[in-house]
Amino acid sequence: MVTREDVENIAILSKLFVAEEELDGLTKQMQEIVEFADAINNAPDSGEDFDNINNLSNVFRDDVVVPSYPSEEILKNAPEQAEDHFLVRNHN
Amino acid sequence: MSEIKKIHDMLSSKQISCKELTEKYLEQIESANKELNAYVNVTADTALLQAEKVDKKIFEGEEIGLLEGVPMTLKDNLSTKGIETTCCSKILTGYKPIYNATVWDKLESDGAVLLGKTNMDEFAMGSSCETSYFGGATNPFNTKHCAGGSSGGVASAVAGNIAPYGLGSDTGGSIRQPASFCGVVGLKPTYGAVSRYGLIAYASSLDQIGPITKTVEDASIVFDAISDYDTKDSTCQGRKGRKTYDTVNDDIKGMKIGIAREYLEGIRDDVKEAVLNAVKVYESLGAEIIYFDMPALKFALPVYYIIACAEASSNLGRYDGIRYGFKAEHYNGTHDMMCRTRSEGFGEEVKRRILLGTYVLSAGYYDAYYKKAQNLRGTIVKAFDSAFTKCDFVLAPTVPMTAFEMGHAVSDPVETYLTDICTVPVNIAGLPAVSIPCGFNSKGMPIGMQLIGNKFSEATILNAANAYEKAAGENFKETKWGVKL
Repeated sequence: MVTREDVENIAILSKLFVAEEELDGLTKQMQEIVEFADAINNAPDSGEDFDNINNLSNVFRDDVVVPSYPSEEILKNAPEQAEDHFLVRNHN
Repeated sequence: MSEIKKIHDMLSSKQISCKELTEKYLEQIESANKELNAYVNVTADTALLQAEKVDKKIFEGEEIGLLEGVPMTLKDNLSTKGIETTCCSKILTGYKPIYNATVWDKLESDGAVLLGKTNMDEFAMGSSCETSYFGGATNPFNTKHCAGGSSGGVASAVAGNIAPYGLGSDTGGSIRQPASFCGVVGLKPTYGAVSRYGLIAYASSLDQIGPITKTVEDASIVFDAISDYDTKDSTCQGRKGRKTYDTVNDDIKGMKIGIAREYLEGIRDDVKEAVLNAVKVYESLGAEIIYFDMPALKFALPVYYIIACAEASSNLGRYDGIRYGFKAEHYNGTHDMMCRTRSEGFGEEVKRRILLGTYVLSAGYYDAYYKKAQNLRGTIVKAFDSAFTKCDFVLAPTVPMTAFEMGHAVSDPVETYLTDICTVPVNIAGLPAVSIPCGFNSKGMPIGMQLIGNKFSEATILNAANAYEKAAGENFKETKWGVKL
């Protein structure tokens, strides 16, 4: 059972706001989706854990030094920047 | 006949210059896109610049490659250096990647002409293209219907002849489902056959990039061009074996086709009839049909949504308003800034999936949902392994129905999730599958079927798909839109 408190708590963990007026609708939707996901509880356990699709492990390559991207290029996409850094203001 | 080869021959024999051809496409995009809404960003200048380069080469008597000078499009979650890449989300508006996705690097160096970036469900989360921040792409067979999703823009552009081909991505059916809805060909390659470097991540253990094309030969040509080992994606192994194009026209006599009965349950009658008619076509071509059960398939849908949302909740954690894209205007403290940025920047479906993903990964629910889903993923993988000991490929409907009317999909999340029932098992098991048109319903909307192969057996499914196309070409229909070659 998904409660309003569950949704509020998950929203905090997800760094999302859920407005008071959205809370009931969202709780109902989450409950429906979780009920749909609950179908797997009736499935028999395969007894072993799935790791990854092509059973890859430790993919190695030679450590070749290549030029990195210039920081001014990267910073062009930042909403705010200052002195070659991303700028994060505490208030706005 | 391959559309790409046709264009290549026209360019090589100087029937048309690359610039004239590109201008034709740009003109048609200008008019058709008002109704199709397939493109969210048209890159006319880049396209014409590239076209001039190709023309110079032809003028100087140099030979050109098969894809050189052929116009195309990319789904808007594939990074293009200096060209806005938004995933059709408000949160990435204005974002211009500083590097190319490997697939675009490869096609660009092959001389491909990029017409623009195409529409998609926001962050590839949706089945109708309507969760796009820019509104959904419509279906060229009937614009009252959606193009499907999430790669709806590419499918609409290809079916509407405003792109000869395009690249999409498929996490739970996002290439095959819109291809099926729009009556075109969509190939989801094996997990690891194509580099995903530069594909903006949704669910990393499921995502794959692949082509949407008019014909099976075209899908084969494009797949061969993009399936290569890449050091930038550690899951990428590249194509195994020869080029698929070498065997795409082989005889399929004696090929064994598996049909899992579960795939035919809960399917609309018209879809079922079209798929069973295709089975008859295959029998007439000398293939052997084998029926079997795959009970593990009934858990595929919840397994998919649990794993996909869990991975999405983690992948989308990077959108914090600091490094790229949209940032909330007013806030009080950095936590508040991130919450406001994400709440204002993401659409409803994306938020729902982040919340669900966070829920199934949180303490107390992790074992019951995420761990159990991973466990069942192993069961589904084994069910397919066992199926491929009996047959060369599995034949199934792509979608249980035809394209929904615009607005229908957004009303009920769970009902919409159910439409992915036939496509998600392929992603869960990391398999290749190609969707091809196999008929029309009474209202003239296309029906698609998928050929599901064992890992790295793209050559087999493309060969079998091409054999069907040659035998039942009437199901590959033209629409009224776009460039007529």
